[in-house]
Amino acid sequence: MLIIAYIILILSWSFIIFGMISIFRLKNLYMRILAAATIDSVASLLILIALIFANWHFEYGIRLALLIIFLLITNPIISHVNIRSAYLFGIPIDVKDGDIK
Amino acid sequence: MTTTLELFLLITLLILALSMILSFIRLIQGKTIWDRILMLNLISAKVVLFISVYSVYIKNVVLLDIAISYGIISFLTMTLLSKLIMTWGKEKC
Repeated sequence: MLIIAYIILILSWSFIIFGMISIFRLKNLYMRILAAATIDSVASLLILIALIFANWHFEYGIRLALLIIFLLITNPIISHVNIRSAYLFGIPIDVKDGDIK
Repeated sequence: MTTTLELFLLITLLILALSMILSFIRLIQGKTIWDRILMLNLISAKVVLFISVYSVYIKNVVLLDIAISYGIISFLTMTLLSKLIMTWGKEKC
């Protein structure tokens, strides 16, 4: 049971490092929001699943499952509200001049 | 005497802290106000993960409840900030 937790934790480290690279390298606002929010939610789910496998008790597992369901619902809502706010303000989607000065 | 699981959890805590510091640097030098909201969202998600991993590391189950309530407060903060900027802040930023 612990081997599964180690493998999923190593996967989650790589996801966190790629997310940190993406918010420093990408030039467009929408690309940054999409990449950072998606990679971050995947890393959150992987770490919480690994914690369930690492500590196999009922009172840990039920709370971690509740946290997984909550993050799975609210993470897309936050990024959607953020992107909608930026789009209604008038930042262009085009890649060439999408970055604001 | 640290076991292998505690070593893995410590490395995870270190990576989470480093990524929170980098996100905070990006929040200070952010270009637009939506970048700063995005970085605040990333820091909040990392704080929830940090509390969860630390609760498994010191074997205390009460900290997971604090993580759940911190997640709820973070969701309300992000949604209301975005809606406030969308409706009232068209002249400010």
